[in-house]
Amino acid sequence: MSPTVSPGELDERAGVDPVARGLWHPLVAVHDLRRGQQGSAVLLGVRLDYTMAGDGSVSVCRSDDHDDRRPVQIAYEIVWTCLDEPATPLFETPEALETDRRIVHAGTIGVHVSAPRAVENFLDMAHFPYVHTDILGAEPFTEVEEYSVHVDPDTNEVWATDCVFWQPVAATTSTEGQMTDYRYRVPHPYCVVLYKTTPVDPDRFDVIALFCRPIAPDRIEAHMFLALLDADNSDADIRRFQLTIFGQDKPILENQFPKELPLDPRVETPIRADKVAIAYRRWLSDLGITHGVIPAA
Amino acid sequence: MTVGGWQPIAALDDLAPRHVFQASLDGQELAVWRADSGELNAWENRCLHRGVRLSIGFNNGAELLCRYHGWRYATGTAGCTYIPAHPADAPARTITNRTYPIVERYGLVWSGREVDGRPEEVAELGAHTLVLRALPVWAPRSFVLDALVDHRFAPNEGLDVDPAEVEMTCDRRQGSIVLTAAHGGSSSTVVYWVQSLDAHTSVIRPVLAETPDDVIAVLRHHARALRELVDRVERTVPSRSVEPQGPLETPVVVERSAGSGPHIEVRVRRKWWTAPDVAAFELTPLAGVLPTPQPGSHIDLRLPNGLVRQYSLTNGPGESDHYRIGVKLEVDGGGGSTLLHDVVTEGDVLTISGPRNGFPLRRDTEHTVLIAGGIGLTPLLAMAQAIRLDRRGFELHVFVRGEDALAFPDVVESFGADATVHVALSPAQTAGRIADVLVAARASHPGALVYACGPAPMLDVVRATAAAAGWADPAVHFEYFSNHHEIDDSTPFEVALARSGTTLEVPAGTSLLEVLRGAGVALPSSCEKGACGTCAVPVIDGTPDHHDVYLRDAERAANTTMLSCVSRARSDRLVLDL
Amino acid sequence: MTIELYDYVLSANCYKVRLLLSLLEVDHELRTVDFHPAREHRSEAFRRINPMGHIPVLVDDDVVLRDAHAILVYLAAAHDPTGRWYPTTDARVLGEMGQWVSFAEALMSSASAARLHVNLGYDLDVEAARRDAHALFRVLDDHLWFQEKAGRTWLCSPEHPTIADIAVFPDVVLSEEGGVSRLEYPAIRRWCDRVKAVPGFDVMPGVFGLGMS
Repeated sequence: MSPTVSPGELDERAGVDPVARGLWHPLVAVHDLRRGQQGSAVLLGVRLDYTMAGDGSVSVCRSDDHDDRRPVQIAYEIVWTCLDEPATPLFETPEALETDRRIVHAGTIGVHVSAPRAVENFLDMAHFPYVHTDILGAEPFTEVEEYSVHVDPDTNEVWATDCVFWQPVAATTSTEGQMTDYRYRVPHPYCVVLYKTTPVDPDRFDVIALFCRPIAPDRIEAHMFLALLDADNSDADIRRFQLTIFGQDKPILENQFPKELPLDPRVETPIRADKVAIAYRRWLSDLGITHGVIPAA
Repeated sequence: MTVGGWQPIAALDDLAPRHVFQASLDGQELAVWRADSGELNAWENRCLHRGVRLSIGFNNGAELLCRYHGWRYATGTAGCTYIPAHPADAPARTITNRTYPIVERYGLVWSGREVDGRPEEVAELGAHTLVLRALPVWAPRSFVLDALVDHRFAPNEGLDVDPAEVEMTCDRRQGSIVLTAAHGGSSSTVVYWVQSLDAHTSVIRPVLAETPDDVIAVLRHHARALRELVDRVERTVPSRSVEPQGPLETPVVVERSAGSGPHIEVRVRRKWWTAPDVAAFELTPLAGVLPTPQPGSHIDLRLPNGLVRQYSLTNGPGESDHYRIGVKLEVDGGGGSTLLHDVVTEGDVLTISGPRNGFPLRRDTEHTVLIAGGIGLTPLLAMAQAIRLDRRGFELHVFVRGEDALAFPDVVESFGADATVHVALSPAQTAGRIADVLVAARASHPGALVYACGPAPMLDVVRATAAAAGWADPAVHFEYFSNHHEIDDSTPFEVALARSGTTLEVPAGTSLLEVLRGAGVALPSSCEKGACGTCAVPVIDGTPDHHDVYLRDAERAANTTMLSCVSRARSDRLVLDL
Repeated sequence: MTIELYDYVLSANCYKVRLLLSLLEVDHELRTVDFHPAREHRSEAFRRINPMGHIPVLVDDDVVLRDAHAILVYLAAAHDPTGRWYPTTDARVLGEMGQWVSFAEALMSSASAARLHVNLGYDLDVEAARRDAHALFRVLDDHLWFQEKAGRTWLCSPEHPTIADIAVFPDVVLSEEGGVSRLEYPAIRRWCDRVKAVPGFDVMPGVFGLGMS
């Protein structure tokens, strides 16, 4: 069950970004696979067919050339693949392997926006009081305090640390408002991981991730993945919370123009609160990503 | 496709109170809205910050708020007045959205690019017209204009007449088509304009030249006739894609020069005595629009004798076509106020600076305590009006020498029970009253903020009393009469421009960017908050003190570039490659 | 006993019911049905509640009802002491409400279908769905424009909103998620603002409130 692409949505700009072609991308959630059934999905403008065999193994190939089999791995409850030979391994998130966590794939939603716009929105705290009103924020408590940003020289991942924001209902486990601590990590141009204070354990973080399948330069399928310290809530409740949050972001993203992320900082008006977005845009420029962005002149 | 010229983009009735109308003109989307004052606005439909459509935002009657981060833009100027993520910062004046011309005529709202004057005069349209139902058509404008030539309808007095029997005459003009239907001695004339939404979509906007008796019947007749025309046209043009792709131009790189310039010429539109020793002035620009006022901001006023005096703006939200100030007569004040009281009259031209805001209003609180001494009321009036519009709590306390000494009593009265005027108290009584106010507010609103403006002795009382009552230092804000400049404790430094061989002094409180511009260096800038990198300058020697959030750590450490809007110097001297 | 609503947060049909419950200030509990991705509405357990495998389902004591529009009729009749949301005394108004509820059904196979295609990948002819939605929106915009000219605010004749407004509103206000722009329908956009201004109005993800918060 992946968003199909109408003929007009296949874009000649798609699929030509060599950097993006060498990355692992999420293709389909494991729970959407049925043994013995074939499905299809578009990645970077290229239609791929996937099959789960009777033994549970998954294979992926180009729809227009079934002999062109693409590499496959299963991680984060998702089938990942790559259009070329993978230039780097898929990033790791050790928390996702901890056995005492609830691992939930909260669903997939098609969004009419570029992957970098969706990632940048995920990195943004200033919109909480306005878009996630009375859940992740509430007026008049709108200030984004100074936080730190760095690019990890070993992993080449963008990190934002020491982020705090006042939240009325930070998670399904919340019973009252709290100053929530956040750390953001961008390990992949189209994927972003959030580490967030949990009311359950002061020393550990809930992990909430957004993985985007870039369908076209202005169209994605968003996967929401969680590794939570939450023993009480049902999967359905956790999904409901996460879908509520993402469902609130979606119309903002779909009303954003241009749909592709402009990398020239003078095109939009950044402020200090956008520090991590500024770093993310510069990092995308350094990587040479062109799919889903408007490169700086 | 660029059509050019004025085009109707809405009916006036479409702009309901507090509504934001989504319009489109030749492929460019506009957010169109009417302020409570009646002022019309047509802006590019995109917030400057992150490109979100402003048409999904909120019209609060005086400002348009972006749905994404709550950025506010003022009616008239489209200047940003508040960025909630940084409540303590006054937004840079450069953050002003792109506006389009907008006028009302014949019950329609018109806009266009590079237009001047007014929409064309149509002789047939007098005082009693009726705006008919507009209909969208999935066809290019030229197609629709051609089809309208053969359009038929019945005259008002004969709506039941067989259309085939109606005698139609058509007059095709530059931007419109005028059709007259005649039958049995009665006739009706309708003027049709066709608005181009984009290259594939149009809107037919008809106006009837007279107001009929049975308005609804005539509206229905014309809507039905036009619907048939639309159906016919759409059968003849290739079908349009049903999902239009964000009809918006790609935003341009914004490199703004020094804002609106250091000096603005204004005319005294109105002068009146708002209290026996306080003259009020309303100042309007000789040309263009005034930069957007923010609560707490002030202007420098250059007097005819060369004196410069600073006055706070009392403007409330939405009052953007003029600046209003209050000038108290200071007998020993060096003559500035005497001149304004005695010499300057309505119609005079004065020179002012653009507004600066060293006293910005934080709005991240449920309750604000405003304490004014005498003419210190003026910035707090602007603040109180802004808070009232947000429907958040405030209490305004004004301390005056006598009953009739209150300036702007009409505005103060409009705050009702939220304002208290304390009359003719001794210094000791004043101190006691301030203590009462601060203790009570602290108890009832622990998260409240205090803003105080007035004579120094009174502000000292506020400072001491607030501390004693348990108010945290950052919660209490002051503006002293005598020093409107932001107190900047950063040290001055020297900057040498290697290429031009010039040496400049950067004083405390002034940015490197300002100094460079003052010396004639044409330097682009955008956010002026150290976030966008536009105003970067190459450093050859010396150690910059980086205050930006744009540079990477390695770039910062290399000390070969710095952002001139916020960064300063650790060394006494910097050498720039300029 | 508290009313129970079997509900999925992103469902426009469930939102209709949540909205009326909010407007009527009726206490209720939500039973989350994991519609996507778990397809719980197709499960055997859920089919015991609704053999048709659809949400929403309302349980009010011994009344168990499926179908959003049937639930709106029931809730208004049973839990609105003012009788305004579903006025039954005027034949004309009854007819009007029926007409607009049918219109809401037509929106489900057009505007709503396009949204399911974009959001959840439902396999259908999305161009046709969008075209049908635009045809319906033209009818709706015409009607609302003439209502305004006649001094009326809502879909039906009364001076107050009815369940017709609640039945039609969600699929209209969510249409842009399915790629159906409302730029050409100013009267619809104004009516959406008016619905949002009704005391007790509640949002859902994808629907903005009127003010900022």
